[in-house]
Amino acid sequence: MTALVLLLVGTSAGSLGAALGIGGGIIYVPALVTLFSLTQHEAQGTSLAIIVPTMIVATIVHSRAGRTEWRVAALLGLGAVVGGFLGAQAALAMEASTLRKMFGVLLVITALRMLRKTRRATQPTND
Amino acid sequence: MIVASKAITLGLVAGFVGGLFGVGGGIIMVPGLVLWLEFGQHRAHATSVATIIAVAAAGVVSFATDGEVRWDYAGWMLIGAIAGAYVGARFVARISAVWLARGFVVVTFAAALRFLVSS
Repeated sequence: MTALVLLLVGTSAGSLGAALGIGGGIIYVPALVTLFSLTQHEAQGTSLAIIVPTMIVATIVHSRAGRTEWRVAALLGLGAVVGGFLGAQAALAMEASTLRKMFGVLLVITALRMLRKTRRATQPTND
Repeated sequence: MIVASKAITLGLVAGFVGGLFGVGGGIIMVPGLVLWLEFGQHRAHATSVATIIAVAAAGVVSFATDGEVRWDYAGWMLIGAIAGAYVGARFVARISAVWLARGFVVVTFAAALRFLVSS
């Protein structure tokens, strides 16, 4: 049963993440905490572990379709490696309850941002 | 040169948020690319997805060495997630982004409520 729910959460988060351009962690972390009672830190670590291979798959597909700007991606990646490491270190140094509250705020901000996309597009956004 | 420094700065900020919250950083990366580096939505998504690999790889090392990765849960979710990511990226143009976003907003608000109320 647990395996089935994990599969379903993975499938929905994976497709949402790839389609909306979000990593999927915004879904994995709350799902792991609320449905499976993982600690905040375990949920975040597990989320990052899932994100690596899924984003590799998504990148291959996007890249084949010619949508990836590799020159810019390389520069972004340079900063991202340093930022990702520092962010993880900061998270591990924090209390779980503090991190959880901050994550709650992040969820609200993300949902509010995404609200704009819930209306039918009046102008084409495709490029 | 300006583009290069902008890109590295954006990577650093998005990477920090992505590592801090275990989410990857696309929340910052995508709007950053669109608003600051003047990318179109689809190119921003595709490029963001590529850089999230770097964020998550850098972040997961720290969590794994602290024993904060539950590989048993990760394994099952991964199977579903890879299938989902393939479908999502492959059919990104055909899926109704509006309905995806609607579902996403409802689930996220519900999760936020639980996080803020019960912690």
